[in-house]
Amino acid sequence: MTFAASKGVSLFIPEVYDIVWSLIILVVVAVFFYKFFMPKFNAIFDERAEKIEGNIAKAEKAKNDADEAKKKYEDQLNHARVDASKITDNARSEATKIISDAHTRADKEAEQITANAQRSITSQQQQAMVSLKSQVGELATALAGKILGSELQDTDVQSDMLDNMIGDLDKKTGNGQ
Amino acid sequence: MIGAVGTKMLLAADSGPRLPGVSDFLPPEILFQGTPFAINRIIFIRIVATVLLLIILGVTAARAKLIPGHWQGLVELGMDFVRDNVVYETMGQLRGKRYVPMITTLFFTIFFFNLFGVIPGANMAATATVTMPLVFAIWVLVQYWIAATREKGLWNYIRDECFTPGVPWPVYILLAPIQFLELVIIRPASLTIRLFANMISGHLTVATCLAFAQFWMIESANKLVGVPVGAAWFLGGIMMTLFETFVAFLQAYVFSILATVYINLSYPEAE
Repeated sequence: MTFAASKGVSLFIPEVYDIVWSLIILVVVAVFFYKFFMPKFNAIFDERAEKIEGNIAKAEKAKNDADEAKKKYEDQLNHARVDASKITDNARSEATKIISDAHTRADKEAEQITANAQRSITSQQQQAMVSLKSQVGELATALAGKILGSELQDTDVQSDMLDNMIGDLDKKTGNGQ
Repeated sequence: MIGAVGTKMLLAADSGPRLPGVSDFLPPEILFQGTPFAINRIIFIRIVATVLLLIILGVTAARAKLIPGHWQGLVELGMDFVRDNVVYETMGQLRGKRYVPMITTLFFTIFFFNLFGVIPGANMAATATVTMPLVFAIWVLVQYWIAATREKGLWNYIRDECFTPGVPWPVYILLAPIQFLELVIIRPASLTIRLFANMISGHLTVATCLAFAQFWMIESANKLVGVPVGAAWFLGGIMMTLFETFVAFLQAYVFSILATVYINLSYPEAE
């Protein structure tokens, strides 16, 4: 019993060689962890974190670029839309103007044509009148000559006829004017 | 003690299980006898364990890749566990960063050494003499004294711990010596004894189960009773082996977290 008890106590008394070996092992293990294992894994962890962060930054940048480009395109599109509507408006007003110009011009021309026609009709009428008067005079003279030729033997008839003719001519020309 | 006595009595009768005893933890020196570098069975196991630990983790670290494989993932899981759940959770990232390598060393080494208690052939934890846990505990002691000296100043630390403010002065007669003992002896001793005793009891339980299984199944004359009883002991042995694997982890965890807590207590309350 005393032997066992002394052995039990000796469990808690460190042997010199045990201390030596435990210290050697502690130092070896600690050096291994401090100088090799932890730095190696920390480098891996850092690299991993950096890569993840880098990717996030890259994605952020790509998103910003895309947003910027989208904004630019939208601006351009808006500009284009405004321009297009401006151009359409201009064209429409231009067209209206052109149409109204054409209308006025056509009206003017029509008036002119009508006026010219009227004038030429009047002048032709006058010409016709003038030529008609002269022809009627000649015709009348010729006819009168013929009639006179046959009837002038009778002096009474002769003078009557001349009077009548002159009176008629006067009447006619007077009406004609 | 009782185990040892029992073994002697049964051996005298020459018919009984070869039960484990205290002498298992005091094996004879087998190399360099009588020198400070003497090696006995437990120290031999410890040296083998150290070499294996260095090879396994060394190869893992040397081959560590950005995208971890299964094994590297498991090692990283352990490292993350120590860093986040033990160190940072106890003392925060700012203070804790400095102590992550130390606590990682403690955790991995103690866990691996403890596992030798259930590895066939060794059947004895590499932490199963008082010295190995004591050396670890003294490292923790040195670290929390250094931290205290740096953060508070040595005298302030002792005064704060032994003459805790806000306590009526007669209580100091009792409190101050206890607190001082706590700082210099009780903390390292409790770390040491907890780990050491767990490893001893683990070895004794598993070995007892297996010794009885051997005795009842093979050496017992009455096979009709012996085989079922022996099978039950063997089943118990398996259960205790699994339990000791868990204890190996648990004790490594407890040692690491207490080391962290002790170091953190050396820092001033307010940040």
